[in-house]
Amino acid sequence: MEIRILGPGCQRCHEVERRTFNVLAELNLAADVRRITDIKKIMEYNIIGTPGLVINGKVRCSGRIPRPEEIKAWIQEEK
Amino acid sequence: MDILGALLKLLQGGLGNLAAYLAAHVLLCLLPAFFIAGAMTALIPKESVTRFLGRNAPKYVSYPAAALAGSVLSVCSCTIVPLFAGIYRKGAGLGPAITFLFFAPAANILALVYTGGLIGADLAFARLFLSLIFGISIGMIMALIFRRSDMAHDKNTDTLFAGNVVMRRAALGFLLILVALLLSGTLKIPLLTNSYARVTLPLSGLDRFQGFLNRIIPFDSSRGQEGVTVQGAILIGLLFLVGLISWRGLGRISEGFTGLTWASLGLIVLTLFVAAAGMRAHAEGLDILFTGKLFGVILSIVFLACMGLKRLPQDDMRDFLWESWRFIKQIFPLLVIGVFFVGIIRVIIHTEWIKALAGRNTLLGNLAGVLFGVFMYFPTLVEVPVAKMFLSLGMHRGPLLAYLMADPELSLQSILMISAIIGRARAWVYVFWVALFSTVAGLIYGALEDGANVWSIALYLLIFLALLAGGLWWMSKPPAARSTASPEAPGER
Repeated sequence: MEIRILGPGCQRCHEVERRTFNVLAELNLAADVRRITDIKKIMEYNIIGTPGLVINGKVRCSGRIPRPEEIKAWIQEEK
Repeated sequence: MDILGALLKLLQGGLGNLAAYLAAHVLLCLLPAFFIAGAMTALIPKESVTRFLGRNAPKYVSYPAAALAGSVLSVCSCTIVPLFAGIYRKGAGLGPAITFLFFAPAANILALVYTGGLIGADLAFARLFLSLIFGISIGMIMALIFRRSDMAHDKNTDTLFAGNVVMRRAALGFLLILVALLLSGTLKIPLLTNSYARVTLPLSGLDRFQGFLNRIIPFDSSRGQEGVTVQGAILIGLLFLVGLISWRGLGRISEGFTGLTWASLGLIVLTLFVAAAGMRAHAEGLDILFTGKLFGVILSIVFLACMGLKRLPQDDMRDFLWESWRFIKQIFPLLVIGVFFVGIIRVIIHTEWIKALAGRNTLLGNLAGVLFGVFMYFPTLVEVPVAKMFLSLGMHRGPLLAYLMADPELSLQSILMISAIIGRARAWVYVFWVALFSTVAGLIYGALEDGANVWSIALYLLIFLALLAGGLWWMSKPPAARSTASPEAPGER
């Protein structure tokens, strides 16, 4: 599974990353998680607010911090 | 030996400033402001504002909406950059994007409240009003100058700015009560500052404690330094506790409410109560004065608790608390360090230097304010204690406003960031206009301070803005319509 976290590197983006890792650990899954901090690359995902969470190429959430339960549901959908 | 003494004096200046600052200024304005900022980030859906920033939004909607987005959506730079890029490349274009960029640092809730609390409501209001007018003007001017190259928009982005999310009623009410909490703690009207009852706690030795505080933190009010009172010392202690407990209590709130969460919320409420009450230490004990402020704060907190527990979903509360704590964690340490250094610098700078350079409202003084703002970089909000220092050292309020307008807008870091998104030429043109308008803002405000007529200045500003809007409207018409200029020509597309 390919997970991208979009954001220039602020605390909110780190929180999304932290929550994502927690969910992955809870589900005992491995995934390719990467942070994307370059603003030009972020814009290519067609979002107007960060942080953004992209799972397998699909923008799941942008402009807010998703709740752990939401992230869990999205990851399970992709599994 | 001499050097050691001088160093000690500097250190004492820094610590004294920090202690006085923590004890007196921060709490009743900054603590509620952090929570308001948190509530805005967590409870206002971004789409409720950005839907007015799409490519097809008419100009009279997109410019004010960009300013609104600047003040409610963007308290930290990590939101400003992507939103700026988004509005520019995929949305309403260069003009509104620039308006957003200019307005955001000057008019977000934290900056305004902090300026108002520390320096004065008049300066906060001038900062808000002049940034609004000049933010929109600079946006329009940039759109005019670069009108040809502003056409290359991303094609399929309409859905990005669609969406029809409306803010929940309960969330709005919650936000309004937070604002009431802020106002009841900071407004300086007799109803709130009068004291209505007094209780004396029989604690002995507090007068000696006050004497001790005055000895370790000596102050000189002629240089704008303040000492620390017993109440201040209690508040500093409480703040430390809040910081310690909230680290886990609020930082890990996404995993649910724990005992620590409640403990830190309780402590924050207690801190606000202590800050709102009046206290006087004397030989027999400690007088506690029940001020109007205290009643206002208690009332707002009771309302907040009711709404938070009954009307708002628990998920929203968690987001709200997490975002508020994030602001505190991110900004407060910077402020502490900044205020410490301001205290040190205050010992070095002589009043005469500032008075000679910017003691009066001159063009040179305003330019000096702007230049200092451009070349010095202070992290978020630290510009306010710096400005306060200049004020107490004798700077005129006009140049002070010029400095306050320029500093958060322009720094090497932000210029680099902007030029990465809109190109170097445009970025420097933007810098030029900001510097010019900040100087003008300082001159205007300084003239007002010196007794010029408010209405004539407002009239000039309006005429200037109308001319700009007219120019933009005329330029944006297709060339054919421009040459015939028929009355039924469609206005803004």
